[in-house]
Amino acid sequence: MKKKIVLTVSDMHCSNCTMRLQALEDEVTGILQVDASYQKQRMDVVFDDSLISETGILDAVKIAGYTAIIQ
Amino acid sequence: MDLWVAFITGLTTGGLSCMAVQGGLLAGSLSNQIEQDLVSQEKKKFQLHLALPIVLFLLSKLVVYTIAGFLFGLIGSVFQLNTISRAILQFAIGIFLIGNALRMFNVHPIFRYFSFEPPSRLTRFIRRKAKNNDSWVSPVFLGVLTILIPCGVTQSVMAAAVVTANPWQGAALMLAFTLGTSPVFFILSYFATRLSSLMEKYFLRIVASVLLVLGLVAFESGLKLMGSPYSFTQLTQLMLPSEKQTVVNAVPVTNPELQLAVKNEGYEPETLRAPANQPIMLSLVTNETYSCSRAFTIPELDITKILPASGIVIVEIPPQQPGKVMAFSCSMGMYTGKIVFEG
Repeated sequence: MKKKIVLTVSDMHCSNCTMRLQALEDEVTGILQVDASYQKQRMDVVFDDSLISETGILDAVKIAGYTAIIQ
Repeated sequence: MDLWVAFITGLTTGGLSCMAVQGGLLAGSLSNQIEQDLVSQEKKKFQLHLALPIVLFLLSKLVVYTIAGFLFGLIGSVFQLNTISRAILQFAIGIFLIGNALRMFNVHPIFRYFSFEPPSRLTRFIRRKAKNNDSWVSPVFLGVLTILIPCGVTQSVMAAAVVTANPWQGAALMLAFTLGTSPVFFILSYFATRLSSLMEKYFLRIVASVLLVLGLVAFESGLKLMGSPYSFTQLTQLMLPSEKQTVVNAVPVTNPELQLAVKNEGYEPETLRAPANQPIMLSLVTNETYSCSRAFTIPELDITKILPASGIVIVEIPPQQPGKVMAFSCSMGMYTGKIVFEG
């Protein structure tokens, strides 16, 4: 089932960080869409909960080099 | 203008002059890559990663200036902002640079809004088109943006491109000039690259400091263009009046015909004295002058003249009140001077 979570990522340094986080939608199975904003330090993730959990998304963000907190 | 002259002009005065005006954009395009590299700790590819945005920045600049040259030649008409518009543009550049510096210093979250944030749809499209190469957008975009802030020398070449009234000649002229400016940009960037590998995490602060200085310089140029008495240069002159001025002021002035030498390094004399209450004929004399001083402007009278490399151009100034001080400068506010009217 399709779900959406909003994450706070307070260690984005620049607009390139948003592009890197957005790339997760192409790299991680179950993540369908990522809209990240450096200015808002925020990341909206649409995912399929039958393929990935919220914890799995947090782990994927961590592997990308960032720390996310669910809002 | 001959193509070789355009190239040599770019290689010498054009490169440094443009670097002073557009260096902030180049630093901005590098800073994104440096930040990205520092985050990902890709030390081995550090040099290569920095060379790529510099080359992309310069290539996009080359392409966009050549196209602009084509258009200037094609339309054969004036594409020149008036003094006020240029001053506003300088202020905007100053705010952009200072805001970015404060963002990099992490002064307040509000300064994050000075960073370019392309829409998700666009970045998604670009990422999928160019996988694993998502860092080229910023330098290319910024390289294109330099067309909005041409330095005085560039404006002179743009004017020459208009004069050709031929799109291909105009394009060739701008291509030769921009090609000439590229080595200076690259060499200065190379030193910045060397510096970054030595300084690593401190380099971000250095880039931010440079952005801050360039921002203040842009603001200063804007103030000079407006003929403002509150520019740093004017305030310094007010606080520290030179001895030379005091001595010269002792002799009364009656001649309404003034002469100003327009040199590569600025205007001579920097202070002209003129009789008040009568029209003044100001002769602007160039002699193998290729710097941005050729783009002469008197903001207050909205007078802008692109002077020939060698020759004399006469500007008529209407009668002024005694005690009036009229500022003049090059079109980007880099070189300045003033006319003092005495009764």
